[in-house]
Amino acid sequence: MKTLESDVIVVAAGLSGLAASIAAAENGAKVITFEKSNTTGGAANMGMGPLGVGSPIQKNQMISLTPGEAFRKHMYFTHYRVDARMVRDYYYKSGDTIEWLMDMGVEFVGVQRAFSAPEVTRAYSDGEFTWHVVKPEGGGMPGPRCATTMTKKMTEKAQELGVKLLLETPVTKIIMEDGKAVGVLAKDKSGEEIEARAKAVIIATGGFGDNPHMIKEETGYEFGKTIFNFAIPGMKGEGIKMAWEAGAGHTPCTMELMYQLPDNMNHFILDGAFRQPCLWVNRNGERFMPEDQIANTTFTGNAITVQPGSVAYSIFDSKLLKKYKKKGPDIISHVHPHDLFDHFDEQWEKDLEEGYECIAQADTIEELAEKAGIDVEGFVKQVEEYNEMCENSYDELFEKDRNYMQPIEKGPFYCCRQYVGAYGSLGGVMINYKTEVMNQDAKVISGLYCAGTDACNIFGDSYPFILSGNTMGFCLNSGRIAGENAALLVEEM
Amino acid sequence: MKITIEGKVIEAQEGASVLNTALKEGVYIPHICKHPDLEAIGGCRLCMVEIDGVEGAVPACKTKVEEGMVVHIHAPQADKVRKMAMELILATHPAECTGCPKYGKCELQSLYQYMGVGPERWRKKSRVVKNDDSNPLIQHLFTRCIRCGRCIRACRELRGIKVLDYQKTSDGVRVGIDGGVSLREAGCKFCGACIEVCPTGSIMDAFNMIKDDRSYSENMVPCKAACPAHTDIPRYIRYIKEGEFAKATAVIRERVPFPDTLGCICNHVCEDNCKRNELGKPISVCKLKRAAAVRDDGAWKSKVKKSEPTGKKVAVVGGGPAGLSAAYYLAKKGHAVTVFEENEKAGGQCRYGIPAYRLPDEVLDQEIADILEMGVDLQTGKKINAPKELLEQGYDSVLVSVGTHKGTILPLEGNQLPGVLVNADFLKKARLGTTGDVGERVMVLGGGNVAYDCARTAVRLGAKEVHIACLENTKQMTASEDEIHEGEEEGILLHSAHSFLQITGDTKVEGVELQKVDKFYFDENHKAVIELVEGTKEIIPVDTVIFAVGQKPAGTEDMGLDLINNAYIRVDAKRQTSKEGIFAAGDVVTGTKSVIAAISEARRSAEEIDRYLGGDGDISEQLIEAETPSPYFGQCRGFADLERKQPELLDADIRKKSFVLVEQPFSEEVAKCEASRCLQCDQRMRLTRPKLWNEYGGEEQ
Repeated sequence: MKTLESDVIVVAAGLSGLAASIAAAENGAKVITFEKSNTTGGAANMGMGPLGVGSPIQKNQMISLTPGEAFRKHMYFTHYRVDARMVRDYYYKSGDTIEWLMDMGVEFVGVQRAFSAPEVTRAYSDGEFTWHVVKPEGGGMPGPRCATTMTKKMTEKAQELGVKLLLETPVTKIIMEDGKAVGVLAKDKSGEEIEARAKAVIIATGGFGDNPHMIKEETGYEFGKTIFNFAIPGMKGEGIKMAWEAGAGHTPCTMELMYQLPDNMNHFILDGAFRQPCLWVNRNGERFMPEDQIANTTFTGNAITVQPGSVAYSIFDSKLLKKYKKKGPDIISHVHPHDLFDHFDEQWEKDLEEGYECIAQADTIEELAEKAGIDVEGFVKQVEEYNEMCENSYDELFEKDRNYMQPIEKGPFYCCRQYVGAYGSLGGVMINYKTEVMNQDAKVISGLYCAGTDACNIFGDSYPFILSGNTMGFCLNSGRIAGENAALLVEEM
Repeated sequence: MKITIEGKVIEAQEGASVLNTALKEGVYIPHICKHPDLEAIGGCRLCMVEIDGVEGAVPACKTKVEEGMVVHIHAPQADKVRKMAMELILATHPAECTGCPKYGKCELQSLYQYMGVGPERWRKKSRVVKNDDSNPLIQHLFTRCIRCGRCIRACRELRGIKVLDYQKTSDGVRVGIDGGVSLREAGCKFCGACIEVCPTGSIMDAFNMIKDDRSYSENMVPCKAACPAHTDIPRYIRYIKEGEFAKATAVIRERVPFPDTLGCICNHVCEDNCKRNELGKPISVCKLKRAAAVRDDGAWKSKVKKSEPTGKKVAVVGGGPAGLSAAYYLAKKGHAVTVFEENEKAGGQCRYGIPAYRLPDEVLDQEIADILEMGVDLQTGKKINAPKELLEQGYDSVLVSVGTHKGTILPLEGNQLPGVLVNADFLKKARLGTTGDVGERVMVLGGGNVAYDCARTAVRLGAKEVHIACLENTKQMTASEDEIHEGEEEGILLHSAHSFLQITGDTKVEGVELQKVDKFYFDENHKAVIELVEGTKEIIPVDTVIFAVGQKPAGTEDMGLDLINNAYIRVDAKRQTSKEGIFAAGDVVTGTKSVIAAISEARRSAEEIDRYLGGDGDISEQLIEAETPSPYFGQCRGFADLERKQPELLDADIRKKSFVLVEQPFSEEVAKCEASRCLQCDQRMRLTRPKLWNEYGGEEQ
């Protein structure tokens, strides 16, 4: 058994943990950060950038959104069912956090939004320009994984500030004495136990997206059956469990919903190609939402989850495919390649041949329904009705944007089954706006803090896709708040 | 000589490469095809540097240092080549990391984080190779391969096994097995070096081999992790392979003072966890231990350290494997230790519970003598009822390790009839030769090793017909396969999956009524559920019934210590009982377990007692100089198919008639042969782990 001592201990060096480590060290605390991987950054290494409101970059781009407006928007979105003070502190800090990162040498390509809503719905569901996309080191356009440059700069900053980074050393337990968190037990690579003592412990382990058992237990979804979330290896929920074990209150956990194809990265072209406002039906063959909304992955994920069997089907015909190939997709996604229809045939043929089970192609509507597993009668009726509305250029059912009223009439027909997906889990550990962990009676557990996904209880039932970059934004800012408060506690002790 | 790298003057060694010199001095230069234990090939082009006076950029791994050399890592040409090299690597590597189990442990991911190369110039041309999980222990996911060749160099040059190589395919060059055969057919020794050096998730341990709740080293060497005393199994097996039996024994003795005893009777959970199970049968670890122990020359004794006397006195109550082991380690720490043993001889369950045909007196006597040699005072025939009186008598600490010597009798009709015996008493009397007549027909109730001990003892006492009945089916039974098999050879009639309804007879045992079990399991409340098959009742006529359904501690209720379930002594994390200064260890705490578990617990309690008495609690010892085994394994055709060696057994007809030892130790040749089957999983952990950029602690600022 090895023993260590510090002012602040941070459990995990993902985005939240790095932010917490830097903030605590900047405020004079001695910090030890434990990380079970050999790389810092955790799930953030797969992302593109955080939310910020009121940053210099936004000002340069003439984005006038204020933290106050973002706060209001967030609270309307969540119907005030979440901690308004936490939300307020988060948004008001978020612009400064972007500057904080820039001071570390992080560069941003600019600020983006995740999607743009169709005109009729813009008033209440448009994407805001809050997403600060990280510029890859060495230049070039950003893409998935570009945020890894940010985690690198943060790691360097932490090391420069003297944060002791213990890699491949998972924490196993929070040491509690007299109701206070006083340290952690950890295990290094060789299996040797470490007892580390400190005045404050900050948990930031990133949720339980890679723990099917916990997903079922906490949210009811069954991984690989009713949900196909990103299971970023390592997101096992240990921090949440350790916090609960130490007496933390239990908040309802949700999955950060969106939608996607199973094994989507190996079928990425199809993932993007069918994410179009064509015809979308449920298992009964019936439409279930205005397809002009499908760029809002949160809304669409939510809509699919309440359909029979929690699946949906996206369908277009040869004529529409020809149009997509010629003019490009109706909805351009920030994630998928813009020229994806140039590669459609190649991927489609290959996946059909290999029997990728989500897709079907047929020469008639009936055959398509049968192959895809849609109710044949219901689907035939729906297509007839839909085509008639297309002819009239008016969607009587959902008032879908008339630009997208394109009939399904010329074979062969293409169908792709869509499933509920998620970025990961959200919430679990009860905290206050200082990120202090509280027990079920809302009493603070002294010395214990929790930040990031493990404690992200501010989204309510759905990810606020309208304020994009929110997952990373909360991780960074709550981490920073935790680090600052822990350092303050150390100073007072 | 001195060279300058990135403005820093560095002491360099003649003949070293620029890369190794920089890394050694804590200056990071990106690299991926170079591994610390493998030759540099200059393939990845990530370690490009510029050198004053040299045209263009050169790979640091292939450039030797020269006096006064001035090296720039971040210079325009070097950066340009490095960036392009990285882009080319990433162009064929899948962009999706979230489905890869190597996430967070991946060298390429770390390099990607360091270099942060933008994706716009990559024309993705993922070369999809079908995942191959058809091989045991090792899976190939070559879509992720970046062709750095580290696995090939590890397999061919470092290990000399020569299974992996570059293969030309229609999709370009990739890593593969010569001839496209399976790893087994190719002569793979499953050492795992290829997995260890792979910088991506291309070659990985098979899914079932990695358990989340175990640490890296526990996953890598599962036999050692599974052994309660964490004996360094691969190390001593390697010595056996080399014919160094005394050295092997010394390795075992570093963790346990009973190598020969364990070699006879250990329940060897190590073998259940042996990675060779994936190829066929496990290494015969237990029997190899015996093969080493019987050839020991005692050289280890010269290495044993004994501390100066501390003036502290420790009493150990109960001289079984737990008590004796603790006494040994405490005596070594300089304490004056007295062991009080109720019976005529020490050894506990090993002496009075395990029959002599499995563990003869001589083996035990010799190993106990070695322990007493350390200065332990053994007082036999002394029963201690109240351990706390020993404190009053001047002992500074007491360890209670009285084991579980009271057999359990189930509440069954007829269980009080004359002719009903119980395991613990029966086996002890058999050792003492005082059992009396067991009659012609005997029924043992229970399905564990102790049931077999009772049944096989009954055979040796002259019973003509011996039965065993138990609720469990043969798969659920806890008795070892060897016991079941050897028992069968000795004519024991097994009624597995049978419930016992009653013992029949008026004035003495006349029979046992059995009924077939359909299902037997434990429900969510850990309650046993037994479902019987209608119409299968039968009475087996017998003269004696022996209960072998568990044992409990005797006499603990009067010790004045807190108990669990009215019998087992409660201890805290420091192995201390409810009474300060009194500790407890072994079966009396844990319930009936194994000898190796008792020894392991004894070690823990010896550490705690030593600490309690003011010592440092360090009982680790080195009984043999550390040696670095050769990393070169060489080739062996059919290695994976080498069969497990079986020990020679006395003929069943002969062994039935006496208590002589049934199993003969392996001959030297057979032992060496069996030991050579070991995969040497620990060797993989001797490979140097490459340091990643984030471990250079901001040197790159």
